[in-house]
Amino acid sequence: MDMMERLMNLDRRWLYLLVGLAAVIPILAPLNLPVNVSKPVQDLYDRIESLEPGEIIMVSFDYGPSTGPENDPMGDAIIMHALARDLRVVIIALYPLGGVTEAREELERCVGDLDPPNGQIESTRFPGKVYGRDFIYFGYKDGGLAAMRLMSDNMHEVFPADFYGTPLEEYELGREVQGYDDVAFVMSLATGIIGEWWANLVNAQFGTPVAVGCTAVSAPKYFAYYRAGQMFALLAGLKGAAEYEYLVSEKYPQLADITDSFIYNAGKGWDVQSVVYSIITLFIIIGNVAFIVERRRQKRGM
Amino acid sequence: MYKKQFPLLLAFLGGAIPIVSFFITTPGDRLKVTTDTLQDWMLIIAGAALLLGVVNLFQINLRKISTRAKGWPNALWLLLSLVIAAILGLADAFDTSVFGIWGGDVAFQWIQDAAFKPLQSTMFSLLAFYVASAAFRAFRVRNVEAGILLSAALIIMLGVNPYAVKILPFLPDTTNWIMNIPNAAAQRGIIIGAALGAASFSLRILLGIERSYLGLQKGE
Repeated sequence: MDMMERLMNLDRRWLYLLVGLAAVIPILAPLNLPVNVSKPVQDLYDRIESLEPGEIIMVSFDYGPSTGPENDPMGDAIIMHALARDLRVVIIALYPLGGVTEAREELERCVGDLDPPNGQIESTRFPGKVYGRDFIYFGYKDGGLAAMRLMSDNMHEVFPADFYGTPLEEYELGREVQGYDDVAFVMSLATGIIGEWWANLVNAQFGTPVAVGCTAVSAPKYFAYYRAGQMFALLAGLKGAAEYEYLVSEKYPQLADITDSFIYNAGKGWDVQSVVYSIITLFIIIGNVAFIVERRRQKRGM
Repeated sequence: MYKKQFPLLLAFLGGAIPIVSFFITTPGDRLKVTTDTLQDWMLIIAGAALLLGVVNLFQINLRKISTRAKGWPNALWLLLSLVIAAILGLADAFDTSVFGIWGGDVAFQWIQDAAFKPLQSTMFSLLAFYVASAAFRAFRVRNVEAGILLSAALIIMLGVNPYAVKILPFLPDTTNWIMNIPNAAAQRGIIIGAALGAASFSLRILLGIERSYLGLQKGE
């Protein structure tokens, strides 16, 4: 068996070992690879930078733990960017398989531990920012499209109380948000189809500006909506998260001092993904070279 | 009549009223109010459907366990996990709002952190290994179409790779062009096709042509 044949019949466990090492080593020793910011990501950053302090944005957690490594850093960076700009943030969750806990965890990761029913409402990471006035978590609602349709002018019918069970009317921010007209835009952090619904229902019917942070695997589909103007921005996978994180950390370096090591993970993740991509690309090229050489040999009857 | 005509009439009204209210405004916004009520019902039905799914899951898996069908221990484990998670979840719901003594929130959060999240993340991360292996074995230039697909995939993978971009700085622009023009055009075609398919299927349901959701066969 010559080298080409050996390559063609390479035991897949070698490949698994390489991918495993490529995933572990950059986590232990971050490479800090450069990030090129793409236009769909820059569009989101510019939109948030252009808003006036006090304006409200809505962040919808439409994903579960399976895509957390891609979507979590997006949520962290957007919430922190918004609070650093003195914007106000409304958080909701529409994904049934874990969206409700993802949203709470990411919010608490950004603002610090919260316990509003027992009076712990002030952010420990953003002093002066208070739950119910500067940020609020409406909780989870089942029903997908129906809930999104109803939220247009009946927000309080869909979310009568916040995540902790307190009626929205008791909070300043809760009273202010009655429908999509009260928010500057909606940011959906999505896995699956919910991000599409924001574009083809909420943007198309109510004219609410929509941006989506999606997983890399569903990014090609979302580019069609972005190109059609149904989304004004798009964060595509871990790369999009790393680009956004880079923009925010450059403009607001002070955020690094008030966060812990669990924040700003997209850059580390992107290191890992880049190395794994390189290995996969290399093996695709090697596999094809071996395939072409072998086919030529067969044609020559060797 | 009650088995066929009445459900068909309900389906027609449930679908037709929201469509009409989108185009027509009636005095006192009666159509819109009705549509809002229907949407409230839809939220309730979505919740009830979840319960129906749980009942169905129990029916199928209990049958599997009682007949000792292949893989019955997995079915048993599934039902046990479901029951434990449901009990702790309900305890969590009551714990925070009413009783505050059961510690259900801690236990449910523990299930979430120690089991649900790692298991879901593990399942998804295994894809990296399978994709790497499958790409190496199956992604071959066997014909022109496969060659075009492979070239596009390689350009995109290299275009987002910081090492490759250092050597070939034109790659990000080429990647953006592929994603924004040919990819977006093809995706748009797929999305429009799927939307037309969904619209025609919905129309068939509204007009009573499609009745399989009632458990009726063609012609019944």
